Amino acid sequence: MNSTLGFVLSGLIVGALFGFVLQRGRYCVNTAFRDIIFINDFTLFRAYILGLLVLIIGANFIEDMGWLGGSGELYRQAFVPWANVIGGYIFGMGIVLAGGCGSGILYRVGEGLTAAIMAVFGFFFGITTTRSGILKPVDELLKSTVVYIGPDKDITPTLYNIIGVNKWIVIVVLAAVAIPFLLKGEPFKKAKKGYYWSTAGLLSGLVGVLAFWASAYWGGNARGLSFTGPLREFFFAVALGNSQTNQIATNTLLGANFSWSSLYVIGVPLGAYISARLLQEFKLKVPPAAELMRVLLGGFVMGIGAQIGGGCNIGQGFTGASTLAVSSWVTTIFIILGNWTMVYFLLIKPMKE
Amino acid sequence: MSLKSETPNETLDTLGRVCPYPLLLTKKALEKLGSGQVLKVLCDAPASAEDSIPRYCEKQGYGFESVKLEDKGYWELYIKKK
Repeated sequence: MNSTLGFVLSGLIVGALFGFVLQRGRYCVNTAFRDIIFINDFTLFRAYILGLLVLIIGANFIEDMGWLGGSGELYRQAFVPWANVIGGYIFGMGIVLAGGCGSGILYRVGEGLTAAIMAVFGFFFGITTTRSGILKPVDELLKSTVVYIGPDKDITPTLYNIIGVNKWIVIVVLAAVAIPFLLKGEPFKKAKKGYYWSTAGLLSGLVGVLAFWASAYWGGNARGLSFTGPLREFFFAVALGNSQTNQIATNTLLGANFSWSSLYVIGVPLGAYISARLLQEFKLKVPPAAELMRVLLGGFVMGIGAQIGGGCNIGQGFTGASTLAVSSWVTTIFIILGNWTMVYFLLIKPMKE
Repeated sequence: MSLKSETPNETLDTLGRVCPYPLLLTKKALEKLGSGQVLKVLCDAPASAEDSIPRYCEKQGYGFESVKLEDKGYWELYIKKK
């Protein structure tokens, strides 16, 4: 296949598959975290844990089999404790305000939610302000402490190398903890309609594995599913003519330089749109003005947090966590804590009054 | 008798509202109702209509029925408070 065509189609298709699964599964990580404390429900959290488990096993398996192109390794993020903690916490608060996480706002664009479009723009402005603009000094300060391990202090910490065991031992332990929790949710029951949580979880994990492989094969490094970097690169490519990516392979389309991930990221709302159309759920929806503004602000806060913390609930909480990098696990824990803090002040406390 | 055919005591319009408002407003409206009363909710957020709200009702043991109005692109939810 013509390489440019393969590059474009693979990006769009992987993104569309993810968007389709997200829309069908009503899969929103913000909701998954929120429901735990808001209505004491673990259904979506189980979908997230199942997806993560599938992705951990799948991603590390294809890495060990040597099936990843480019560097041949999963990209494990550097451990920047201050940035991971603070960025994750800010991002976690932002997703409640924005009414959706990194993946949630993108798939809901495909459902015709104008508020989600506002959140996406806010998200991009937050990312750019922090990466290149007036908040750059804060980002740099928080990232100035980098923790390495090993005799030469040059190894990025992971859950397995900090305790000095084979990564599969850690994976088996994680699976042993996760499986009883998953079984409690009756994963083999049939859904009344749409995707049951176990279907959504399984499919999201499989798309995640596919994305690792495809991003390595066409993009030159195994970046997998993420939103923060790809969204920034997409807007940069469209508005500035260059995606300014760290991906090795790029392609010129319509005179602009696109990264593979910047194409995959627009596939997500497209896939969600196809799914919503088939279910006759696509409709342009406009919330009250105050809510639209709140969502824009929420998106901006998400962008700041995601840029500082090294990614969103997908980039860090899913793809990152599957690489077993300490950085991603710390960020994910603080995303959850930030989410719970905001849920308390925005949803639980007002209910009591 | 199905909930749909009962005359709702209250109707709540959440059309266009962003997640999690459909769930939050439903929760609030239900608190004001007495036991056995029926709330009708108009909702166009798929995740809320088919996921969050029914799950919440199931947790609470409330009666729940929904009708998807495909031509209008929203759901009518009927909730009976326990």
